[in-house]
Amino acid sequence: MTLDRVVWSMLQEALGVYRDSPRATAWLRSHAERYTEPVRIAVAGRSRIGKSTVVNALVGDEFTPQSSFVWYRGGTEPRAHVFTGPGRPHELTIGRRGNRHHVETGQFDRADRVVVDWPARTLRDVVLIDTPSEATPEQVLGDADALLYLMRHVQDEDLKFLQSANDHPIARTAAVHTVAVLARADEIGAGRIDALSSAKQIARRYRRDPAVQPLCQNVVSVAGLLAVAAKTLREDEFAALRVLSSLGREELEDHLLSADRFVGDPFPLTMEPAVRQALLERFGIFGVRLITALIRQGFDSQVKLTGQLVQRSGLGELRDSIAVHFTERREVLKARSAMLALDVLFRMEPRPSARKLMADLERVVASAHDFRELRLVAALQSGRTKLPAELQAEALRLVGAEGVAPAARLGFEYEADARELREALLDALLRWQAQAADVHAPHDQRKAAQIVVRTCEGLLPQFS
Amino acid sequence: MAPPWLDVLDETIGACVTHRRPDLEARLREKRAQQLDPKLRVLVVGESKQGKSQLVNALLNAPVCAVGDDITTTVPTFVQHADTPSAALVRNASAGGSIFHTPTERIAVPIDQVTKQAAAQHVVRAEIGIPRALLDSGLVLIDTPGVGDTRSAHTASTFATLMQADAVLLVSDATGELTSAEMTLLKKVMEACPNVTVVVTKIDLVPSWRSVVERNRALLARAGIRAKLIPVSSALRLRAAKSGDQRLNAESGFPELVTCVQSDIVASADLLARRAVAVVASSAITQLVTPLREELTAHDSSHTVATISTLQEAQRRVDELRRRSARWQNVLNDEMADLISDVEYDLRDRTRKILREVDKTYDEADPAIGWDKFEQWLEDNLNEAATTNFAWLMERAEWVAAKVARNFPVYREDLIPGSVLPDDLLEPASKLEKPKIEPFSVPQKLFTGLRGSYGGVLMFGLVTSLAGMPLINVISLGAGALFGGKSILDESDQRLKRRQAAAKAAAQRHVDDFFMKFSKDVRDSGRHIQRSLRNHFSTLAEELQETLLESARSAKRAVQDDQTDRERRMREGRKELDRLVTLYKRVQALGGPAMELTA
Repeated sequence: MTLDRVVWSMLQEALGVYRDSPRATAWLRSHAERYTEPVRIAVAGRSRIGKSTVVNALVGDEFTPQSSFVWYRGGTEPRAHVFTGPGRPHELTIGRRGNRHHVETGQFDRADRVVVDWPARTLRDVVLIDTPSEATPEQVLGDADALLYLMRHVQDEDLKFLQSANDHPIARTAAVHTVAVLARADEIGAGRIDALSSAKQIARRYRRDPAVQPLCQNVVSVAGLLAVAAKTLREDEFAALRVLSSLGREELEDHLLSADRFVGDPFPLTMEPAVRQALLERFGIFGVRLITALIRQGFDSQVKLTGQLVQRSGLGELRDSIAVHFTERREVLKARSAMLALDVLFRMEPRPSARKLMADLERVVASAHDFRELRLVAALQSGRTKLPAELQAEALRLVGAEGVAPAARLGFEYEADARELREALLDALLRWQAQAADVHAPHDQRKAAQIVVRTCEGLLPQFS
Repeated sequence: MAPPWLDVLDETIGACVTHRRPDLEARLREKRAQQLDPKLRVLVVGESKQGKSQLVNALLNAPVCAVGDDITTTVPTFVQHADTPSAALVRNASAGGSIFHTPTERIAVPIDQVTKQAAAQHVVRAEIGIPRALLDSGLVLIDTPGVGDTRSAHTASTFATLMQADAVLLVSDATGELTSAEMTLLKKVMEACPNVTVVVTKIDLVPSWRSVVERNRALLARAGIRAKLIPVSSALRLRAAKSGDQRLNAESGFPELVTCVQSDIVASADLLARRAVAVVASSAITQLVTPLREELTAHDSSHTVATISTLQEAQRRVDELRRRSARWQNVLNDEMADLISDVEYDLRDRTRKILREVDKTYDEADPAIGWDKFEQWLEDNLNEAATTNFAWLMERAEWVAAKVARNFPVYREDLIPGSVLPDDLLEPASKLEKPKIEPFSVPQKLFTGLRGSYGGVLMFGLVTSLAGMPLINVISLGAGALFGGKSILDESDQRLKRRQAAAKAAAQRHVDDFFMKFSKDVRDSGRHIQRSLRNHFSTLAEELQETLLESARSAKRAVQDDQTDRERRMREGRKELDRLVTLYKRVQALGGPAMELTA
């Protein structure tokens, strides 16, 4: 039985055991409901780090920032609700403010959360939660299955947040729910034209940093403003940017030296200062520099430009990361959240009849192969477990560091047929069995090999 | 002429010495040496990636400090004036030593290699010298590693450098207002060095930098920090330097910063020194005053209370001892009386048993036969009774001693006396007198036989003479013999009875004697024991009482002494406190105008 089924049946069983306690029943119902929903991803970070910007970029539409928790859910038509206290939610209107969508919270300025249903492709398999910067780790993670943590350079405060997010026995055995994001990648590179690649390198360094590694699954860099621009670039803006890029490079550079110079007079083109100001606010000085440079390099249609921006801003990488670590691991993350919820329940309302369930929970936490795989991924990536170089990459791939589909695990980049997959799988299985039985290998290597063997064995029934 | 702050500082150092605070003294001496040094150290601090190194570069118009997108500066870099550009790394000569107080060595390196090589281990700092007018007056710019980075060693070295700073430029970029971590850092910096200027960098990147600066001003005002706030753009400045564009230079905000550095920091070196000294000295004095003040207030109450409670305790213990010595005396008397009567009873019982045995024996036996053996037996028995009885006495006496000891107010090793035995015990009782035993000799027997037979012969001879027989005939002779025999038998029986009675009486007497004598002995030794126990315990009690009284007396003395001594000390303390307060005021006066200057 797979992990999610086991945990699901435990939830049902717990509902039976606690049927006389209304509080426990409500708690379990909400979690059973949540179990079937898409993965909830909280976006957290210090103030002004660009949480709302990243959420906007992922949703693909611009919303004005709010001071409370804002949930973005997939929906067939735009709707918004506000939840305050225990009462029923109130429907809100979604208006526009400038070029942004604005949810009129009006008198509900002390809202628990605002839920926005929005028709967007990204929101089909995730729920995004934009969190206020003063929220504690408990508040942020209470309702979320996964966490996107935004930061600039990793500072002690950020590590503290991530550590407290992992500060629970179950959370620790299954530290599988965090992706760190170096937001504001453009500023990391001081606005230079190569800032983004430099930020990418720094993200790569943090991925190997022993202080950061165990706390998150991945580190990616994102230039938030550019990412939003990529998704929401408008006709008129594109036109204005094209005009700008028609200027001589030297001349334009002079006026792009500082934000003040760009909006100030004299300007060599007849362009309203208000338009320039708007461009600056939307894309930042770095965005204007990069986009004009790109247009000059030949990405001169909006489609071409958008593609470039998605790739360069790091939005693509962030999406991939979300897919690999969160969406594809939905079952594991949901199971993890449900197990945390069960653990909370057992501690708050312990009763003799739940003893079997408590033992079950402990056993599942200790033995679930999915967690073991993820722990192995973390151990291999952090260098806690070292395998010979040629085996390391394969092990990571097989246990699902690059995706959990059989083809991804077996390293096929094209659509392989079942026979090919089966052969590759058997091949891998034999090789890793030998590795697991190698008496000369250190203990942790053999342990890792055993996990890989178990993964291969688990895949085998699909092909026979 | 020595500047006025030097006097104050020296006086403060003196106060630290008097108050035995070598730690404060060392800190102040370090500050003193540093203030006397003509160099002016300006520390550039801030969180990582705020543009600290770039700021130094832009100030000097030279790429002296390496800049990069990732964490670049790993050791403090000292930039100072030199006629020709030069660079050196300073590292701990002894590998693995602490950052402080270890011999260091300088290694000259080419300027462009500094950053690369600074990443090596044990490098404590980098020193760069370049010819610049700004640095001419002895200004040293110190670029530091970012605070709050995950590698705490960097932060530590920054704080170590902070102690030597004359002025501080706190760098925060314009992409956001000052964070709470930066405010904490700022406050921490202000404690060590009050001359702080906040520099907001990267204003070229941020369209809304003016509002960020405004918010920062508000933040500083709210926190009550009076520090100048200068927005700059290093990128514009470096660009301007390249192109020689004065307008761009003005836009970069650096002229203001340079003026600030020159006028506020270089020109007012004395003022800075006064302010720095004021801060360090007042913090030191505060630390001296606090315990002194505490002592002064706590003196009356806590110390005296302790002395008085000692006195009360001592008196309480004396009373307790008295109360309990009555108790142990009672116990001793009661127990000894019990003991003596018990022992006597036991002795009587034993002797009675012996006597019964004697009676039983002499109901049957003839004392004439085996008297010696009997005598021996009696002696043995009496001796055994005496020994057992006496052993029991001793046992009981020890038990009594233990019981008394238990009732004694305190426990001591020598509480139970080693021996309570009287020496002259068990004098041998008088010898058993042999009873008078009359032997039944043959003539006596003959005489008695004759006397008995006389009646028989006569009686039967008269009867038979009636029958015509002579008076002396066979019958009368036979009867005579019979009568004679009976008389002898009767006589000897009576004699035996007499002898037995005599023997019994002798034994009785002897045993009585023995009992008299021995019970007296036992009683004597009982009393002896009682006396010696009493002596022993009362000696102990006296000793104890004396000790307690002495401690009570000394406590009393202490209370009295305390009174005078405390008054003396209070006077001294007050004087000292006054002195320190005056000194503090002078120190404050040093910093006073300077504080207003920053506003």
